Amino acid sequence: MKLNLNQNKTGKSLTIIAPLITLLFPGSGQMLLKRTWRGITLFIITIVLTCLVFWGYNTYKIAEVNIGKLGTSWLWLPIFLLWLWNVLDAYLLSVHKKSPVVLAFLFAAVVLYTTAWMVTDVKLDRLVTRLNDAKSIAARLINPDFFQVHKDGEYRTCGWDCLWSYSKAKIQGEPTYVVRISENVGDIFGRKGTITATQWDSWFTGVRKGERIEGFETGKIVETIAIGVMATLFSTILAIPVSFLAARNIMSRIHGGTIVYYVVRTILNIVRAVDTVIWGLLIIVWVGLGSFAGVIALTIHSIAALGKLFSEEIEHIDPGPVEAIVATGGNFFQVIRYAVIPQVIPSFLSYTLLRWDINMRSATVIGFVAGGGIGFFVLETIRQGGYEQYAAALWAVAVVIILVDTISSKWRNRILEDKPKALPNGKWQTIRTWIYIIIGCAAFIYCWNVTKINLQNLFAPGPTFGRLLRDFVSIDLTKPVLNIVAKQMITTVLQALMATTLGALLAIPFSFLAAKNLTGKSHFSAWIFYITRSMFNILRSIEALLYVAIFVYWVGIGPFAGMMALAITSFALIGKLFSEAIENIDFGPIEAVNATGANKMQMIMYAIIPQVVLPFLSFLIYQWDINIRMATIIGFAGGGGIGLTLSTYFGSLQYHKAGTVVAMIVIVVALMDFASAKIREKFV
Amino acid sequence: MLKVENLFKTYPNGTQALNGVSFQVDDGEFLAVIGLSGSGKSTLLRCINRLIEPTSGKIIWNDVDITAASGKDIRMIRRQIGMVFQQFNLVKRSSVITNVLSGRLGYVETLPSLFHIFSREDRERARKNLNMVDLEDKTYVRADSLSGGQQQRVGIARALMQEPKIILADEPVASLDPVLAHSILKYLEQLNKEGGITVLCSLHFLDLVHRYATRAIALKDGKVVFEGLPSEIDNKQFKEIYGKEAERIEVV
Ligand SMILES: Nc1ncnc2c1ncn2[C@@H]1O[C@H](COP(=O)(O)OP(=O)(O)OP(=O)(O)O)[C@@H](O)[C@H]1O
Ligand SMILES: [Mg+2]
Repeated sequence: MKLNLNQNKTGKSLTIIAPLITLLFPGSGQMLLKRTWRGITLFIITIVLTCLVFWGYNTYKIAEVNIGKLGTSWLWLPIFLLWLWNVLDAYLLSVHKKSPVVLAFLFAAVVLYTTAWMVTDVKLDRLVTRLNDAKSIAARLINPDFFQVHKDGEYRTCGWDCLWSYSKAKIQGEPTYVVRISENVGDIFGRKGTITATQWDSWFTGVRKGERIEGFETGKIVETIAIGVMATLFSTILAIPVSFLAARNIMSRIHGGTIVYYVVRTILNIVRAVDTVIWGLLIIVWVGLGSFAGVIALTIHSIAALGKLFSEEIEHIDPGPVEAIVATGGNFFQVIRYAVIPQVIPSFLSYTLLRWDINMRSATVIGFVAGGGIGFFVLETIRQGGYEQYAAALWAVAVVIILVDTISSKWRNRILEDKPKALPNGKWQTIRTWIYIIIGCAAFIYCWNVTKINLQNLFAPGPTFGRLLRDFVSIDLTKPVLNIVAKQMITTVLQALMATTLGALLAIPFSFLAAKNLTGKSHFSAWIFYITRSMFNILRSIEALLYVAIFVYWVGIGPFAGMMALAITSFALIGKLFSEAIENIDFGPIEAVNATGANKMQMIMYAIIPQVVLPFLSFLIYQWDINIRMATIIGFAGGGGIGLTLSTYFGSLQYHKAGTVVAMIVIVVALMDFASAKIREKFV
Repeated sequence: MLKVENLFKTYPNGTQALNGVSFQVDDGEFLAVIGLSGSGKSTLLRCINRLIEPTSGKIIWNDVDITAASGKDIRMIRRQIGMVFQQFNLVKRSSVITNVLSGRLGYVETLPSLFHIFSREDRERARKNLNMVDLEDKTYVRADSLSGGQQQRVGIARALMQEPKIILADEPVASLDPVLAHSILKYLEQLNKEGGITVLCSLHFLDLVHRYATRAIALKDGKVVFEGLPSEIDNKQFKEIYGKEAERIEVV
């Protein structure tokens, strides 16, 4: 009896103490009540939002209101409410009642989105007032520069209508203008011309290296493909040994291995946090502008990404065979060769193919900073206002990337099925293998040439490279620089937030149209399905960086343009993932709701949405993570944010400050990565 | 002769898996190790070839202290001790012949073995051992396309590649149909009787112990609670080893 009373007393005092300390220190009451995670999350959210309001008002006067003479931000109101909610939550927790979590989300959302709206400089009016610009650019995008027509003594782009009347006239045998394939097609895909003989040419044909000979001038898109292929090849080869150093179960078998494991893992995480394009900036200081720099940048980033994936795969192997080989008396290397490698081959191959897809996408934009590839071409066309040429490049990119995407996912599926092959192999198979090897070698040599790989350059770094290394060690941490970098970084993160939100809002309705199991039987809805799916696929195949130019033309340079570009790619990727999630739902509940005589909308509300909420949330967090990485480079094309700052610092050789930016990016991206992984683990 | 003296094993999480185990095995014996799930059978067998490091105690084999060996020495000892596993532990994606040849790794040079180069004798030996377990027609198929019983036979062939003096078998038939159990144990019996290989085999079913073992020890909570002939395990002993509620069941 006495004991009971005592318990009651501590229980009572908790209901007073927990809310009280929460008032002073958000989240602490929750922690006291043994809800550690909730407490930590609330603490972080409250503090971050408070800082954000403070910063927003001081920097941009966000949400300014005047009370008498005193100017302040009305965002303090939701912060105050959030703080109160913390107290309420602690109290309700202590008396074991449910607290209204939605309210907390609401307060946080008001603060976040108001700030994000101002910081990313959203100007909805421009979307309307400059609609004519948008229309003109849309017209040019739809009529890319593939054909030219000879009219009034000069060549002009021949759009679809021109082509149409031309072919009609041709078929009917009427006289018409001269139409030819445009020069631009030659630029993009390649043409006959003169090239400089390479080392390989001199070995095979006997011409001297450096001589001008007749040959095929490589187009920019071919160059892009070569960059992606070479980077994938190199990074896979290099990632394999790295991944063993980063696999815990392997390294714990040798002396001092655990330390190596931690060091390698950390390095991989840092390298991965810096986007490929930013690596490009660093690499050009080392080896100079060109495709080779692009290959190196892609390779470095892929080694880190693949190294991580590979090592996780190694950590998840079946330990049984390892035990068995150890038991036969095999040594460390034999264990790896006979028990580990055979187990990981299919997943390594499939990750390589996945990475090839990603590398091809990166290869389309690496040229923005590194020169070489279609990215460089796009940059040039934009500078000259050649939007028809730009449009042609985008279409070429879309075709190539969609192809790569299809091939890569087909092969991945086949590899992961991992069917035992029919053995033993006959003569025909040996011949086929040899043919593959020869084709592979030829392709390798061709790509090597096209990307102008020059290993000697690696050992003759550019004049400022030494300075860059030194300055990166002693980065600039003075207040004004930190202020600028912080400001741009916050802009970048909020850009990503806005883009994800906007993309998701647009994607949700469309994703229902693109889900095969929801399309009706009629031809009309089947058409809608195919059109929506293709739209997702086409939009997704072009990197956000390539879209920026469109929005810069439409709404002007700045974070808003970058945000819109990110929103487009988010829309496409989220739409695809959402529609696939809808396709994977359980059909039982749909039947049940249909059986009650509900209509289509009701069916969606009651049978589908409850099933897809969790995967949707998980994709959103994933997309936000991707968008933050993308937002760090969007500035290279005029999309605002930290990328602009970085390229300015690099351009003016202020490597101290550039180092600060890169360090900041690493920290923020790694933090967001960690947070998103934790959140997905908790909720999904 | 294999002598286990006062063996203790405490896992890092605090579990006391072995609590002072002592016993002896003479050459040519077929020793069954029985006991409830969790009684420490696997731990004991894995301590003998040091797949698991015992916390204290000694294992002496023909006057060599296994517990004191290190580095290269332990690999030299391991290669003379074959092991057969409950889950077969084959590399599923490799062919049967590769799995069998991998049993030879303790004997061959590292460098050629990394390129899958094995001597003619080793290949011949592999063929012979596959023959012995009646699997010569499966030589080049992938291990995962075999049935469970066939996979375990590959496991035995792999152990035979070591030309072992002892075979440790950790519940070699627990993942198989009862009918197949006999076929596998018959191979072990044949190796024991004709090849003179000492066999230490943990088993779940008493009938199998009666049928194949020449001697048995029983573990309970990491201690030896019975040591003697299989036929000596009467109902009373049985209740002691397996607990009061246990019932004897028959296997085909
Ligand atoms: N790696 C490990 N870490 C911690 N505890 C372990 C580990 N392996 C086994 N144990 C514990 O040690 C005890 C003995 O396990 P062991 O696997 O040797 O028993 P067993 O007799 O082989 O059982 P079973 O018949 O289920 O295979 C059990 O309590 C088990 O939970
Ligand atoms: Mg066991």
